[in-house]
Amino acid sequence: MKFLRMVLLAAIVSLPAQRAHAAADVAAGQEKAKVCAACHGENGVSSMPGIPSLAGQQDQFIQWQLVFFRSGQRPNPAMAPIVGELSDEDVVNLGAYFHSLPYNTKVADGAANAELTAKGKTVAVDHRCSSCHKDDFRGERAAPAIADQREDYLVKALTDYRSVTRPSVGVAAMTEAAAGLSDDDIAAVAHYLATLGPPKTVGASLKTVGPAKK
Amino acid sequence: MTTRVLRAGLVAALPLLFAAALPFGGASAADLKSYDSSKPSFWAHPPPDWFLGDETEAQKGLAPPVGPAIPTTAAELQDNLKKIKLPPGFKIELYASGVPQARQMAWGANGTLFVGSFQATNVYAITDQGGKRTVKTIIKGLNMPTGIAVRDGALYVIDVNKLLRYDNAEASLDKMPDPVVVYDDMPSYAAHGWKYLVTDKNGWVYIPFGPPFNVGIPPTSVSQIRHVDLKSGLAEIVALGVRNSVGGDIDPRSGDYWFTENARDWLSDDTPSDKLNHITRMGEDFGYPHCHQGNIPDPKFAMGHKCSEFTPPVVNLGAHVAPLGMKFYTGSQFPAEYKNNIFIAEHGSWNRHKYQGGRIERVVVDAEGKHAKQEVFATGWITGDRDYFGRPDDILQASDGSLLISDDWAGAIYRISYAK
Repeated sequence: MKFLRMVLLAAIVSLPAQRAHAAADVAAGQEKAKVCAACHGENGVSSMPGIPSLAGQQDQFIQWQLVFFRSGQRPNPAMAPIVGELSDEDVVNLGAYFHSLPYNTKVADGAANAELTAKGKTVAVDHRCSSCHKDDFRGERAAPAIADQREDYLVKALTDYRSVTRPSVGVAAMTEAAAGLSDDDIAAVAHYLATLGPPKTVGASLKTVGPAKK
Repeated sequence: MTTRVLRAGLVAALPLLFAAALPFGGASAADLKSYDSSKPSFWAHPPPDWFLGDETEAQKGLAPPVGPAIPTTAAELQDNLKKIKLPPGFKIELYASGVPQARQMAWGANGTLFVGSFQATNVYAITDQGGKRTVKTIIKGLNMPTGIAVRDGALYVIDVNKLLRYDNAEASLDKMPDPVVVYDDMPSYAAHGWKYLVTDKNGWVYIPFGPPFNVGIPPTSVSQIRHVDLKSGLAEIVALGVRNSVGGDIDPRSGDYWFTENARDWLSDDTPSDKLNHITRMGEDFGYPHCHQGNIPDPKFAMGHKCSEFTPPVVNLGAHVAPLGMKFYTGSQFPAEYKNNIFIAEHGSWNRHKYQGGRIERVVVDAEGKHAKQEVFATGWITGDRDYFGRPDDILQASDGSLLISDDWAGAIYRISYAK
């Protein structure tokens, strides 16, 4: 299982890796990330309510959020003083560091609620989440991994996108995707994504990230 | 993929649309999407399917790629530019790096290069002191300030739904004055709401208004190009039936306005073609959403219209090449046959299995729009099937006749020059 997961991850990251990692220094990113552990967890796996896990997260997504925090486009009183002094180089290194950490596939405590999961799956299909976040919901490039993220954080993120209090990469993709979600929709899709667990098949995902069929 | 059925309330909001559609056959009312734009909330949250349209299973995952969060470093750019192919005698070099999401460019009278941006909220000023260039962020916090222009010492910037004027801009780079709102009769959405500004000799500015979705019946205030008097704010509609236009220029031979237009997505990899258009009569209709590339009736939105009703493009540039900024070449540095040619910055594909565009195209055409031919001028920004190291988005001629190219993916400006 673990081997398959590694193959899958390698396939997902191989394209952006050539571009984004050209100048990245993972060790420097790790040094810079010491301050992050207090909230985001020792290995990038958060145990704090409302705070996202960052382990294995898409490199470009991490970079974009740091840029948004730094410019004030994503206002956050806790992040603002920390990111204020980050250089472009720091941003690249932090992205590479968190991306290098093993992805958390340990399902959150408590069993998945079958009814909520089914509704959440429908919401995910209706709102075309996998068009950007891919079939396994582990993202690609600037589209973040959202599978096995903290449920309370997914609720917060979707609520913030819906109220346009945080910017969306790709112009307005998330603003638009979240605009029509009810509170119940958000609760359901967050539960579904947070309890996905390790990917069960790799075939479908490999197909979507491989070269286009001619 | 099933078509979403309209809620009854939305259908009722546009009864004339369906009354007009049905007698002509074609798609039935249940197949058509329409949008109730009568409330401000529509503009705050455009339809969720504006770009994720009726994709087939084979098209799944063809979402717009997001570029790097951080501008590409000068060292990497120097390396990348070695891969750009140009005709003999031309060369490309790095003009400036560290210009996040650089979009439309405009010159100040004293040689300051002003540059807008996409989502970075910034306007930049690039100054040149003896070959040493400095990039300075002079305005922050604007909503999609892609379109800029300079006239009579003032810098004009689009703040998505406001045209702003910053007086005495070049002398105020350290502290820009508070802007004056010149014109604000515009919808506030971001999707296809980003704009491009072209001023004419009479002090009017051309402004495009794109629809906030891929394809649909456009709300009344969009899918058009307006012409606004910078002094009085008077606005006129000069073109209708225009999808997403983010580039244009005035032909130095005729004074006519020409513009690039991005065609609808999700039809297929190879159709419809993006367009180069020429306005010869006020209020001309270029066909969107009824007809694409001059000869493809929309499968749903033709609604009884024939392509022959609309002004055809001068040139079909190719599907998903994404033509953005364009300029007529009026310099004397390039060989004589380049005089009055059109250079077009093609941003490149997202809704195609194998990207194309991502290059500079050259169009040779007479002032009447006849005898057009096109060829690739500069190419090489696409890597692999679906990736970029840069995406050209605007072109500006320098005083020495060289061309500057802005790149919002790499956050850089390039210079193309010619020497025998």
